[in-house]
Amino acid sequence: MGRTHPSITQTFLDEQGALARFRRALRRSDQLVFDDLFARAHQHLAAAAYASHALPLEVFLLAMLLEEHKEVQTLRQRLESLQPPSPQADE
Amino acid sequence: MNEIEGWLLDLYPARDGGLTVWLLQQDAQGCVACHALKQSFPIVSYVSGEAPALRAVWRFLRRQPIQARLERCQRRDLFEAQPLTVLKIEVQRPDHHALLVRRLTQAFPDLTYYDLDLPLSLRHAARYGSFATARCHLTVDEDGVIQGWQTLDTPWEIDAPPAPLRSLYLEPDVDPAHAAPSQLTVRAARFSYRLALQPGRPFLLNLRAILRRHDPDLLLTRWGDTWLLPYLLQATQRLGIPLPLSRDPQRGVAFRPERSYFSYGQVIHRGRQAHLFGRWHIDIENAVLYHDYGLEGTLEMARVTSLPLQAAARLSPGSGISAMQIRTALQMGILVPWQKQQAELPKTALDLLASDQGGLVYQPLIGLHEQVAELDFVSMYPSIMARFNISPETIASAAHTQAAVAHLHPLSEASQPALIPQTLSPLLEKRLELKKRLVDLPPADPRRKRYQACASAHKWLLVTCFGYLGYRNARFGRIEAHEAVTAYGREALLRAKEAAEEQGFEVLHLYVDGLWVKKAGATQVADFEPLLEEIARRTGLPIALEGIYRWIAFLPSRQDERLAVPNRYFGVFQDGSLKVRGLELRRRDTPLWIAEVQQAILECLAEAPTAAAARQRLPLILQFVRAALSELKGGRVPPEKLLLAQKLSRELAAYRQPSPAARAARQLQALGKLRRPGQCVRFWYVCEDGGVQAWDSGVLPQPTTLDQGRYRELLLRAVSTLLQPFGIGEKRLRREIAAACPARPLSLWKLPDAGLAARPDSAVRPPAPPPH
Repeated sequence: MGRTHPSITQTFLDEQGALARFRRALRRSDQLVFDDLFARAHQHLAAAAYASHALPLEVFLLAMLLEEHKEVQTLRQRLESLQPPSPQADE
Repeated sequence: MNEIEGWLLDLYPARDGGLTVWLLQQDAQGCVACHALKQSFPIVSYVSGEAPALRAVWRFLRRQPIQARLERCQRRDLFEAQPLTVLKIEVQRPDHHALLVRRLTQAFPDLTYYDLDLPLSLRHAARYGSFATARCHLTVDEDGVIQGWQTLDTPWEIDAPPAPLRSLYLEPDVDPAHAAPSQLTVRAARFSYRLALQPGRPFLLNLRAILRRHDPDLLLTRWGDTWLLPYLLQATQRLGIPLPLSRDPQRGVAFRPERSYFSYGQVIHRGRQAHLFGRWHIDIENAVLYHDYGLEGTLEMARVTSLPLQAAARLSPGSGISAMQIRTALQMGILVPWQKQQAELPKTALDLLASDQGGLVYQPLIGLHEQVAELDFVSMYPSIMARFNISPETIASAAHTQAAVAHLHPLSEASQPALIPQTLSPLLEKRLELKKRLVDLPPADPRRKRYQACASAHKWLLVTCFGYLGYRNARFGRIEAHEAVTAYGREALLRAKEAAEEQGFEVLHLYVDGLWVKKAGATQVADFEPLLEEIARRTGLPIALEGIYRWIAFLPSRQDERLAVPNRYFGVFQDGSLKVRGLELRRRDTPLWIAEVQQAILECLAEAPTAAAARQRLPLILQFVRAALSELKGGRVPPEKLLLAQKLSRELAAYRQPSPAARAARQLQALGKLRRPGQCVRFWYVCEDGGVQAWDSGVLPQPTTLDQGRYRELLLRAVSTLLQPFGIGEKRLRREIAAACPARPLSLWKLPDAGLAARPDSAVRPPAPPPH
């Protein structure tokens, strides 16, 4: 069990490690954002394991996208709750 | 012919052929006696191969001085689709069987052998349904030879009449690994003696008198395997005073050597073993899981596995489950391979990617959650094997397994359950029945302890049966069957998640066989009943509510607090009880002092009825931590509470970068106290001497030599783990602790009058008592 291919956590670390040169060349402020993206993708390790996709980075990128879209949705909702209802929309 | 009834104590091959059977009998007056009987018991094994090879075996066996009955017949090998033509070899005497097969396997090493090396007790169990402490009705002739055998109960009965065992407890006054004992405590139900080991002669004579008068069925010792029995044997030889340790006068003590082995990621050490004949010997220091389930659990292990009690006490649960499978195979007429030949089916990389997976393990939502229910599948993997008929022989192809898993259909629709389900079903049923009874029994009921011990023994067997299905060397292991189990498990857990979400629950965490859910307004058991029913309906597997937490905190990783980790959490159930996973206090390498501080903080938090109320206790807890730190600083923490224990993972010479435990073990080695891989080493962190000082090196460390900084760090980390979900992370904790400890010289310098001179010291002391 789990001996024929690395665990999902190991795969995740490997994929992250493969981008070490990319990360190194980023500005410090961007590096922190980069790390944050991976930290968010990490929440979906179980789903990535269950998917058992041959190209795991694709799944991790999708997980980042998913978290980003969640964030967009949350911000949009907050924005809508802050804005006064526009008079045209009431028609 | 005599008809007798009694409890089976022991059976083994006799020196003059046949079996020696020890039966415990109780007469009408309640007097107990143990008698030796004899039984004829032929041993059968099988060889398979090409017809000319089998003919050669036939000719070879005919020439041997030991005669065997030979017969050509058909039998089933689990890993073959068709029954095999095999040569059946039946030998009259068990002791001759071993001799004959040794010669045979040397002469014909390339043939496939079956049923060759099976424990005698399993063969007997398959034929007569026997097991240790089984109630038996025997027909015995004038020479004490058993002619008829009827076992009156089964291992699956819950309240079988207990055997009237008489036990004798022997314990030296000190652990022989640390110092030479000088006394032996001898205790039974009605008496207790202390015998001085020196002078040797009166000691042995006294012990012999006690053994003869009391005639115990069970010798329960501490360090009996590793020290006491070897010591006694040496003394009897030196002084020429025989000691009847075994009941069988022809037999002495059988020793098996010590060993270290690797299992489930750990190195385990087992000491030398001392087995007796006609009497049991259990060394509670060397018995497996004795601390967990005690004598009751060990007896239960022997009953359900049919292994001799002395073996069951010292074997891992894995060997137990293996024995049960062999017994089932013998009963079903399935051949038990001697050396397994079967290899894994070829797979593509993509197949492997899809099939070689474990259970589903989610990353929980980090933080504090209130009114959370934990739902657990009951014995999930064994239940899956039993319900979906998973066994080496029911595996057809990857596609077949995949299709069956997707619809949660059994792997095989055959009317008779396969080998593994047939082995597990009675065990699962007994465990469920015990659990049911435990719920209904009043807390003070005397049966409670025994039921719990039995349930615990079953748990260990059921836990290991899954691993053994995937173990290459297990006789009935097959990796595809093992993978099928996890595939069913993932499907069932996902179905449970879907059911929960459809009913409006938020799923906080999923972990192999459990899920943590919450929903606004759901706070009572009844609020979760519909979900439990729906999950049971969708999966067909038993699921139960483990409990409802007042609050539970899922903790982040130590390295990065943005990352969740699956198995680090603590929470309080509605009845106030705690559940803790992955915290320092559960680890053996945590000093008792730190574990106690953590426990006290947890209990303080658990007393609060809500998370908000728990939060209000934080100032009190910080005060308590400050007090604990000042105890450390003042050297008032007893050194034994600062001891750590770590296991050695290899031989000392093999360490390239010695761990603290290895450095401590080297100090002990220099004193002539050897530690083996798998054994624990206890030590303190000190300021010099390579940072550690081994316990048992003869000197206690002074408070001034202890590495206080290191202990302080360990404590702060352990405390911040608990307070983090309540908003006090490691940084803030350090600030809070430092804030209340003003630097002493500064306050002295500021003090205007002498009357306040004592204050800085008292300011460090907590004004409130520790929360307990």
